[in-house]
Amino acid sequence: MIAAKERNGKEDVWIPTCCGQCYCMCGIRVRRQNGVVTEVEGNPEAPTGRGKICVKGLAGPQLLYDPYRVNYPLKRTNPKKGIGVDPKWERISWDEALDIIIKKLKKCQEVDPRGVYFQATTTQASEIRFGVIGFMKAFGTPNYWVSGGGLHCGNGAHFMNGIMHVSWSIIPDFAHCNLPLNFGCSKGHGAGHVAVQNATQAADARARGSRTITFDPFQSAQAAKAHEWQPIRVGTDGAMALGLVNSLLNEHGIWDDEYIKYKTNGPYLIRPSDGRYMRDKETNKPLVWDLVDGCQKIHSDPSVTRVEYEDEAHDVAIQGRYTVDGVECTPAFELLKEHVKKYTPQYVEEITWVPAASVSRIAKEIGQAAEIGATVTIQTEKGPKKIPKRPIAAHYFRGSQGHVNSGWTCLSIDMVNHIVGAADTWGGAMGLGATVCGGYEGTGKPYQIPYADDDGLLVAKAWVYDHLPYPMRVPKPPTRLDLHDMFPTSIYNAFTITSPRWFEMLDRFKIPYRPDIMINFGSNSVMTMGHAETVTENFLKKFNFIFSFQLYITEFEEAVADIVLPDTCYLERYTPAVSFPSTFSHPQGEDDWGWTIRQPVIEPLYERRDFNVVMLDICKRLGISDKYYKGLNDTIIMRYGGAMDDKYKLCEDGSREHEWPEVTDRLLKDRFGEEHGLDHVSEKAVFTWPKRKEDVYWKWFNPARVPLYFEYFIDSGEQIAKLCDEFDAKEFFDFDWSRFKALADWYPCPSHTEPDPEYDMYTFYWRAVMHCNSLTQQNPWLDECSQEDPYVYAIQMHADTAQKKGIKQGEKVWLENSHGHRVRGWVALTEGIEPRHLAVAAVAGHWGEYMPIAKGKGTFFNDLVEMDKEHTDPLTLNQDICCRVKIYKA
Amino acid sequence: MARYGMVIDLKRCYGCYACSMACKVANHTPPNVFWSRVLKGESGTFPNVVRQALPVLCFHCEDPGCVKVCPTKATYANDDGVVVIDKEVCVGCKYCMMGCPYGARYTVPEWKSYFPEGLPLSELEQFQKEAWEEKSGCGVATKCDFCTERREDGKEPSCVTACPADARIFGDLDNPDSEASQRIKRDRGFVLKPEQGTKPKVYYLPPR
Repeated sequence: MIAAKERNGKEDVWIPTCCGQCYCMCGIRVRRQNGVVTEVEGNPEAPTGRGKICVKGLAGPQLLYDPYRVNYPLKRTNPKKGIGVDPKWERISWDEALDIIIKKLKKCQEVDPRGVYFQATTTQASEIRFGVIGFMKAFGTPNYWVSGGGLHCGNGAHFMNGIMHVSWSIIPDFAHCNLPLNFGCSKGHGAGHVAVQNATQAADARARGSRTITFDPFQSAQAAKAHEWQPIRVGTDGAMALGLVNSLLNEHGIWDDEYIKYKTNGPYLIRPSDGRYMRDKETNKPLVWDLVDGCQKIHSDPSVTRVEYEDEAHDVAIQGRYTVDGVECTPAFELLKEHVKKYTPQYVEEITWVPAASVSRIAKEIGQAAEIGATVTIQTEKGPKKIPKRPIAAHYFRGSQGHVNSGWTCLSIDMVNHIVGAADTWGGAMGLGATVCGGYEGTGKPYQIPYADDDGLLVAKAWVYDHLPYPMRVPKPPTRLDLHDMFPTSIYNAFTITSPRWFEMLDRFKIPYRPDIMINFGSNSVMTMGHAETVTENFLKKFNFIFSFQLYITEFEEAVADIVLPDTCYLERYTPAVSFPSTFSHPQGEDDWGWTIRQPVIEPLYERRDFNVVMLDICKRLGISDKYYKGLNDTIIMRYGGAMDDKYKLCEDGSREHEWPEVTDRLLKDRFGEEHGLDHVSEKAVFTWPKRKEDVYWKWFNPARVPLYFEYFIDSGEQIAKLCDEFDAKEFFDFDWSRFKALADWYPCPSHTEPDPEYDMYTFYWRAVMHCNSLTQQNPWLDECSQEDPYVYAIQMHADTAQKKGIKQGEKVWLENSHGHRVRGWVALTEGIEPRHLAVAAVAGHWGEYMPIAKGKGTFFNDLVEMDKEHTDPLTLNQDICCRVKIYKA
Repeated sequence: MARYGMVIDLKRCYGCYACSMACKVANHTPPNVFWSRVLKGESGTFPNVVRQALPVLCFHCEDPGCVKVCPTKATYANDDGVVVIDKEVCVGCKYCMMGCPYGARYTVPEWKSYFPEGLPLSELEQFQKEAWEEKSGCGVATKCDFCTERREDGKEPSCVTACPADARIFGDLDNPDSEASQRIKRDRGFVLKPEQGTKPKVYYLPPR
């Protein structure tokens, strides 16, 4: 495979593979000298990075050799569980560990296999697609979550981006965008998705002269690099965005008429009685008003649709009143335009603390920079084609989406793009985790071209989704332990499973089984979710048996695991597909597509075994490996872009086994042809092929529209409320169902409505570039780097505020919320923060004995995060992650 | 003969520390030593305030203060302008650390592990220790040498290769057509503490 090279008589070789320090999974090359992994570089062949790699990736070798890694299976001998309890670990053999596990799983299988709950880390998103999904399908359990990796960062963002861009996230088309607006995210600044490639692209954009405006309560890296920093009040980005939309529409009269008319549901006629679409009696399709023929038409009538930019169509109404079947209807756009009028610059200033004049000015700047009407010509497979040039992009992520108004905030920010037509076209806001792909020319795979449903809207049925944001699922009586089935607008939730009344909820919904076994793959949910005691006592301790694949003994294993299995890290394993379908690691822009694989650069050390190998072993022992392979075959079709050729399918009749290099080989050959198997791809660890321009700038090549008016949310809200009534479960879910409506609004967080003036400071956490989730805190090189930075381990506080409170630089303090939960840290004084805020970085403040590098560094912010219904977004069930606290000396 | 120098574009840099880490890994520096560092500062008062990252390393000065004060001539400039240290000749007097106006030199009395005492060294740490002692060593002055070994392999210094923002240009300042020379000229390149008169060969391009 990799030819060993020698230098001075000693082995010295660079092996291409794929990073695994975070979910970006950039291409890397790893140096092995005389059997020791010593160095990491970017892989120049991989479009995600092109030879560059971030601080975390460079520090990878320490993860491989850390003396605190778990190297042997361990068994808890102390039956007591909980935070601070000594598990009294005992080293056992793999055979003993697996015997115990199989016995427990078999019993559960007999009683009700749904008693198994899979918990996994988002850091290893590509492994999840195999070991986790395959096992769940084979064993027969629907219960799964990714703890903090999901609820902190994605319920609103991924949901809304699915609806609006068929993607996981959005990102400016840095190569051509002249005005990126950054709402609380580090995209392009070292963290976030496809981080390395985006950082290069954002730097290119700065060098080119693009102008960035950043909305962030503190001087984050992205604020420091911006041309304009707006220190916004935490959790109010949605109001800011609605203010921009109002100012564009009603103050400056700027919108992209063509885009609204032919690429959104803006012209759909809405009946006043119930806010629903006016539909054609025969086809049941939504209607628009044809201004040329002076009559209603169904939205997909060729006379009123434009797929490509140069297509011609009749003008349609987006303003005014039109009578259809005796009912006076209004185009959706007009309703939106009226609806946002309340977000005047003055009102927005009251909410966001951004000056009214700035709201108005920035909106004007957006309107001008969007160059509405301008076009460029791109080379497509069908020759040169004209498309709109709209070089502005409002983008966002965790900072703005992690609030009780998560869904609407995400939508409001993205709406800025759609008003000026700057979506998935040249220079605008692009879907990240790009999902439009005509496939490799030799095979036509992986293939993913989005399409429109009968209502004309973009169907989010892409390889990125398990949760299908659109068309909306119909809420069903729940069968899952987190009641997920009844919440079609959410991906995960925590307020059910961490509630002290969790089992009462299960009773009420007549769910006949209870949590039995948790399988954990790499997550430290004691620390990554919220208040640790709540998570541990209300949720994790409800399981009878927990076994965990882990690299370290984290706070999770200490508190609740019965068996710890020593996993390999990313440098010791095969993963057949990494960039696909993982959504975080597709190259953005015009650079090639890349299908990355992970291959071991060293044999597993000690008794570490690869999670995926062990899951296969477990399936074999349970007698379900045939179903496991079938599960993988089914997953590959759905998530990896197209049907499998029979000759590459994994054996489904139990007559033969497969190992991971072989699975890798089959998958590669199936996607890219017989000659492009593992032997071929392992030389570079990535298979690349050119992107079609019409896949990059797909908006004006696809007939689908996106909603500006969310008519179907009204139905969802009514359906969920009805289900709650049917099961007499109102007391658990007395959410404000009126938030399920058609037009965006801003709603305050609990931190904004805290009544007690004693809790006078807003606090939030931010993403430090050297950390991802919680694991990187134990890496000694990354720890050393964190100490080089003035703020990574500190609580940032404005110097004047500190002076008023008598707090000095470096002093130890407590932050305490009104629920009596408090965290400790030390203060770094700065001018670079809005004076009423305190900023904390990363999942820090570890206390576990087996991660001594991480222990005691930084502040454990999540202990301030409440996990109840009041801190949950009714629309998406996202958790609120900003708090109001009092600060006092420790 | 080339005269090597570097240009760091502060408009591109966003202070991510990849340069520090790449240097650490390539040059096997022990705890508390980053030959390539990122300093972070802040200027102004809220809300007219800006944070700035400033990557620093040995500036390989044309008239280096360190060379002047070195009593044993252990520190000298190569023909290509790269300032290096002969660890066999260095006596560890630290005069050079006083002589360098940029604080770019480091010395460690003894090699230490990152991990608590009493543990056997990992294979990686054993490798790091041996490699450090071979190239640099304890009790003597150490610093950036523009990655001598990498350059021998035809590569650029590790901080240049890794930089996700593509903020660093390594090149021959004697060649007026090199990208480094061109960018210094075109984009108002400047050096730190020019009043010290050491003529650094690491230039910065302005952040805005």
